[in-house]
Amino acid sequence: MAQGILNKIAAGDKTAVEECLKKYGGLVWSLSRRMLRNSDDAEDAVQEIFLDVWKNAGKFDEQQSSETTFIAMIARRRLIDRIRFTSRRISADALDDVMAEPVDRADKTMQTSLEANDAVKALNSLRPEQQQVLQLSIVQGLSHQEIADRTGMPLGTVKTHARRGILQAREFLGLGSLDSAKEVHA
Amino acid sequence: MSEAEKEIMLDLLCDKFVYGLDENESKQLSELGFDAREADSIEQTIAALGLVDLDSEAAMPAHLQAKVLRSADAFFASETSAAAAEAADDELPSRQIVLSGGSGSSWFSWLGWGFATAASVALAFVLFTGRGADNRAGVQPTPTPIPAERLDPSQQRQRLIDSSPGEVIMAQWGKGNVKELEGVSGDVVWSDEKQAGYMRFKGLAKNDVSKETYQLWIFDETQDPKTPIDGGTFDVNSDGEVIVPIDAKLKARKPAAFAITIEKPGGVVVSDRKRIAVLAPVKPTST
Repeated sequence: MAQGILNKIAAGDKTAVEECLKKYGGLVWSLSRRMLRNSDDAEDAVQEIFLDVWKNAGKFDEQQSSETTFIAMIARRRLIDRIRFTSRRISADALDDVMAEPVDRADKTMQTSLEANDAVKALNSLRPEQQQVLQLSIVQGLSHQEIADRTGMPLGTVKTHARRGILQAREFLGLGSLDSAKEVHA
Repeated sequence: MSEAEKEIMLDLLCDKFVYGLDENESKQLSELGFDAREADSIEQTIAALGLVDLDSEAAMPAHLQAKVLRSADAFFASETSAAAAEAADDELPSRQIVLSGGSGSSWFSWLGWGFATAASVALAFVLFTGRGADNRAGVQPTPTPIPAERLDPSQQRQRLIDSSPGEVIMAQWGKGNVKELEGVSGDVVWSDEKQAGYMRFKGLAKNDVSKETYQLWIFDETQDPKTPIDGGTFDVNSDGEVIVPIDAKLKARKPAAFAITIEKPGGVVVSDRKRIAVLAPVKPTST
């Protein structure tokens, strides 16, 4: 089996850095822009994220996750830190921009990786209200209160849908089957 | 752990990886305790769900990729510096540092102390200057990491034109719908092959960065006109000629026109096109 990009980086193979940027640069850039809603902030974040990737490449374990998920996790950690630091989480105002994004680009939507396809399937496997809450929270970055305001659901219900939806998606993705899974069906 | 506590713990773990936790929430989670495997699997799930609806066409801008590559070079060089220091300690008292031999593929092998030290300084510089490589003329001046060859934006623009004269397109700026900006002149050059270009303006007014920014849109023949390519935002803080490199967010294959709109700080995903500063339709001529 060919050595993964992150393993090569951890081994000091310089060619893997460009390979990594070529394969995952769009993902990190796209995620950063979506979560920060500001190109300048996103540029700073992308640099920090890839620095984290170089630092943590040696921790990647292909038995635990795919490279895509590993890099997305590193990216999200850094982006969440930035958002919390600047208190500039995407707001309901910014949602107008999200909603205004063209919808006739299905051919260009990121389904380039198996992980993204699986994530879509996992999301689609959930109850509609769970899908809605996870779409608004994880994909669009709204807070639970903002979701409650937008959907009319009580705050507690939003939290419950979020928790149960995540745990159920975890099951679907085969990422965990601990005792908490039972909670999904509670 | 009671069922109620378990629910709180799971809520906190989910929140941690979606929004992050504040100090009190972190303390509460710590007090409740949690299984690290549980946390890992929830984080992985959220990261995977976060891939939904990402735009694969949103390629990282070339200038940003260059910055990341520079910082990677500096980072790995600083790693080498640490490795070399360890090696030096191991070799004491002879102080002979063996940096050659071993794996031929290792890039640690060709760096020495001097380079490593310089690279550490470079890393610090790259990390602490943020948008250090932004070299827009007449635009917010920022420190620039030392490139192999220093070219000002005007020279860079000329180099692009000279590099492939038959391929680079040029279009002249004309008026948009903002009366105060009707006198703006200049041009835009773009290379499909290099996915690079420059905008040159004369008379484009300084903008109040706290209220607005300029944003370029590229109307590509391969793209629906309703969804032009975001060419990046920029600010103008000087009079006279201004040259701005283009920062296309997607690959432009055959631009038919360029437009500058005035938007809120940070730019927008979709412009309402209420304030178009200038427009440059591309004519089928080359430079």
